[in-house]
Amino acid sequence: MFRMNLKIALRNLWKNKVYTAINIGGLSIALAAFIIVVLYVNYETSYDKNLPNYDRIYLVGRSMPDFKTDYTPAPLAKAIRQNFPEVELAGLTKNMGFEMPVSSDHGKIFSSNALQVESEVAKMFDIDPRDGLPANDAGLKAYLPRPLYKQLFPKESMKPPQMVALGPSNGAQAEKVSGTIDRDDEHSNLKFDLLALGNDISFGDQDYGANNFKTFIQVKKGTDVKALQEKIDRLYKKEVVKAGVSPTDRRIAGRSVIFLDPLKNLHLRPAAGSDANYKVVMALFGLGILVMVIACINFTNLTIAQATKRAKEVGVKKVLGAYRFNLTFQFLAEIFMQCVLALIMGLIVAEILLPVFNNLFSTPLSLWRSNTTLYWQLPLLLLLITIISGIYPALVLSGFKPAAVLKGNLQTSYKTLWLRNALLAGQFGIAIIFITGLFIVNSQLKYMRTEDTGFKPEQVISIKNMVLYSQPWSFRDVREKISKIPGVNYVTVASDIPDGSKAGTMNYKIDGKEASSDFLYVDFDYFETLGIRLKEGRLFSWKFNADTANSAILNESAVARYGVKDPVGKTIRGCDIDYKIVGVVKDFKSQGFQTAVEPTVYTIKNPCGNFKTKIMINVDEQRMALVLTTLKSQWSSINKLDGDDFRYDFLDELYGRLFKKQEQLQAVFFFAAVLTIFIAVLGLFAFSAFTTNSRIKEISIRKVLGATDFQVLKLLNTYFIWIILVANLVAWPLTYMLAKKWLQTFAYRIEMPILPFLVAAVVTSVLTIIIVSIQAQKAVRRNPAEVLKYE
Amino acid sequence: MIRIEKLEKIYKTEEIETTALNDINLHVKEGEFVSIMGPSGCGKSTLLNVMGLLDKPEKGSYHFMDTELLGLNDRERANFRKRNMGFVFQNFNLIDELTVFENIELPLIYNKIATSERKRLVNEIIERMNIVNRSGHFPQQLSGGQQQRVAVARALVTKPKLVLADEPTGNLDSSHGNEVMELLCELNEAGTTIVMVTHSSHDASFSNRIINLKDGHVISEKMNKGRNEELI
Repeated sequence: MFRMNLKIALRNLWKNKVYTAINIGGLSIALAAFIIVVLYVNYETSYDKNLPNYDRIYLVGRSMPDFKTDYTPAPLAKAIRQNFPEVELAGLTKNMGFEMPVSSDHGKIFSSNALQVESEVAKMFDIDPRDGLPANDAGLKAYLPRPLYKQLFPKESMKPPQMVALGPSNGAQAEKVSGTIDRDDEHSNLKFDLLALGNDISFGDQDYGANNFKTFIQVKKGTDVKALQEKIDRLYKKEVVKAGVSPTDRRIAGRSVIFLDPLKNLHLRPAAGSDANYKVVMALFGLGILVMVIACINFTNLTIAQATKRAKEVGVKKVLGAYRFNLTFQFLAEIFMQCVLALIMGLIVAEILLPVFNNLFSTPLSLWRSNTTLYWQLPLLLLLITIISGIYPALVLSGFKPAAVLKGNLQTSYKTLWLRNALLAGQFGIAIIFITGLFIVNSQLKYMRTEDTGFKPEQVISIKNMVLYSQPWSFRDVREKISKIPGVNYVTVASDIPDGSKAGTMNYKIDGKEASSDFLYVDFDYFETLGIRLKEGRLFSWKFNADTANSAILNESAVARYGVKDPVGKTIRGCDIDYKIVGVVKDFKSQGFQTAVEPTVYTIKNPCGNFKTKIMINVDEQRMALVLTTLKSQWSSINKLDGDDFRYDFLDELYGRLFKKQEQLQAVFFFAAVLTIFIAVLGLFAFSAFTTNSRIKEISIRKVLGATDFQVLKLLNTYFIWIILVANLVAWPLTYMLAKKWLQTFAYRIEMPILPFLVAAVVTSVLTIIIVSIQAQKAVRRNPAEVLKYE
Repeated sequence: MIRIEKLEKIYKTEEIETTALNDINLHVKEGEFVSIMGPSGCGKSTLLNVMGLLDKPEKGSYHFMDTELLGLNDRERANFRKRNMGFVFQNFNLIDELTVFENIELPLIYNKIATSERKRLVNEIIERMNIVNRSGHFPQQLSGGQQQRVAVARALVTKPKLVLADEPTGNLDSSHGNEVMELLCELNEAGTTIVMVTHSSHDASFSNRIINLKDGHVISEKMNKGRNEELI
């Protein structure tokens, strides 16, 4: 029996090659997309999941009236440990937050993510140095991840402990590396490239006023976390009072409420942070499911459209004594077979597309590497798609009445017609949203790439440097040496570079009006280096001695904020200094296109912190290569204190990274548009095949009565064009609203374009006419005499 | 063998009810060859479908070898059908994806006959039907007459007590039609009971008894003398 059914199935699939290919191909492409989405969702939702006590680890944070933070005072961890027996482990971490070279005699690495961790936190996160945890002593011990250690000490014989130099060789600090850590932190919330491990990283700090540490706790099984949270909150407030902090700190502490943020939320939706990532992951997941369901429904429709061809078989088998159950099972098995094929092809397509996806989302997804989750998800998925796409056709096919079908009177039901119409309109609606969306995202990106940003990052290089050049005279020497290199136009140093980073904010006062403004500490030639245009007054200049002491330049937005007329010559007060405004520059979009240009005050004198370390050089483009090689070879003599390594970025590339999110979105929209239109076209193909088949008698009668081929084509097309029109009308306002919302996240944006909507309408209509006409052509070519013969 | 009494079958669509069979009383003896004739729409195919358990009537009773069949559920009907009945259709209804051999084998599979026995039975009937050299062909590769031979072979391979034929010659030219009719006669002579629906009085002349239907009623019933004499 099985052998016979298998033969029928295979011969049938082979006979209807085009349908089979479309059916399996469509499903496999949707499956590929879905598999990638599932991989991505698995990956994003399983940070640290391999930790044995994953469910019992929490980050302690403080909720203030207007924001939440996970920075906590140093003594809190110890207090929790001492007071609550249900807390198994409690400890601190602290990010050191600056970049520095780490070198040995054999190599050099740059650590940008050094982390201090207490041993109790290390236990929670399974950080187990190969050479043992520090003993019960007071100090900190430094550890390096194994690959980095290998770079410093390449030979097998170079076993820890070893001495390394921290910081630039000129003034480096010798430090002992006690061991290595075999840990891939790629998939963990705790990331580091240099680990300082100790039993107490606060060194007995009892200050409840400063919040500089993150506090992790691990609770015992069965702990009432909500109750614990309240207990810790009470403890915190009590301790703050006991510690005798300043009245301001006490007021702040009194208004804040302690919360416990579970480890599983930290990556995607930390309480102290944004849940945007979570939304993106869930939206992608939703999209994946949507695509999958639509593809399954298409599969159903295509199979049903083919049903007439199997009707006779069902009839004969029933006459010969088959039970309905046998037939249902037979068709389900057949569809299962096709789903298996589709799944295999889907896996192949997914494997091919994964590198593209990984590149775009900076993920290490793979079908093969330690994917136990996927291994049980795939069979489940297979079963699900078989049931979703197969159960309806199997029931319909096995339900044919033999007496009717064997006479050749197969009446296909029109009962579910509205559902099919709605489904098709829905499929096209989704495709239209993505096509339109793609064009709108494209336009905005094009605008961002071509629109005047107010400055010229193209020929500026930004050099990594740790030396503080806060005094103009301290930078003079460096400036002169760099300026001598042929091809260098301007050199400057500043506290920030226009790569989207947020400058500091301070209150300034002009003519009695006080308001906050960004401030930036710069050096001579800052505006010239970046090509920022002067609006009135003058730029900073050597000719004016006072410029290094108390001259300020404002941008247009700052002038507007303080509402001053003729600002040049007026006084602006901030950080206890009276500055004289010497000029006003045009606004430039240092933060990208999403936020409006902030009011900014530029000064050379830097009384309030924020060191000037960012060196920028404007280079003649023709001589860029030469300048770079010269800088590299001379760097140690130019930048004597940090001249070991000449490391640089092109400013336009740094600025371009601000577009990364939009570029991701563009790629997602591109794939989604292609996929949804593909699936919609398959749906249309199935539906039009079905309709044409069931109207074949009508078409033949019309032809007998004198209809021309064109009239029949028009008749069949009109029906579908209406559906597509409805789909467009429904999708447009939806797209308009979504696109408008998206565009509103940009301070500088395009006007809502009309063209994408028209393009979507034209694309969908043309596709419809092509697909329907291909199907209709078959019907038109049939000889009416043949169709009507058995009536 | 068959005793049908007061049978009534009504087709309902949304607005109208059509009485396809009305108060039908019919007896068929074992070994008989009965033709059912009548104009289009008189209910003859419906009657055949009811007899073949492919359709359920609203009222009446249908005894087959003293078993009442009308109360059976789908599964029981399928079981009864596959053990006792064979079907021959106007449009042959062979499965296009299966070869001649496989088509004939199909009912045996549903009757759970062992593979070796199946092979023997199929080969036997193929030989008897004179289609040995066609057994590996697909239906589309055969002429209409050959296809109908295969269909008859399929109907007979399970050695059914009753063969139901619905216009078996309707799609055939007269010489192929005669061939099939002669085949049916041979079967009948070998003891198989046959009920055949036909338009053609020529075909009907091969049977023992002719029943005329009109508008769902039996309007006449006559013995076919020539044929009966032959039998004697």
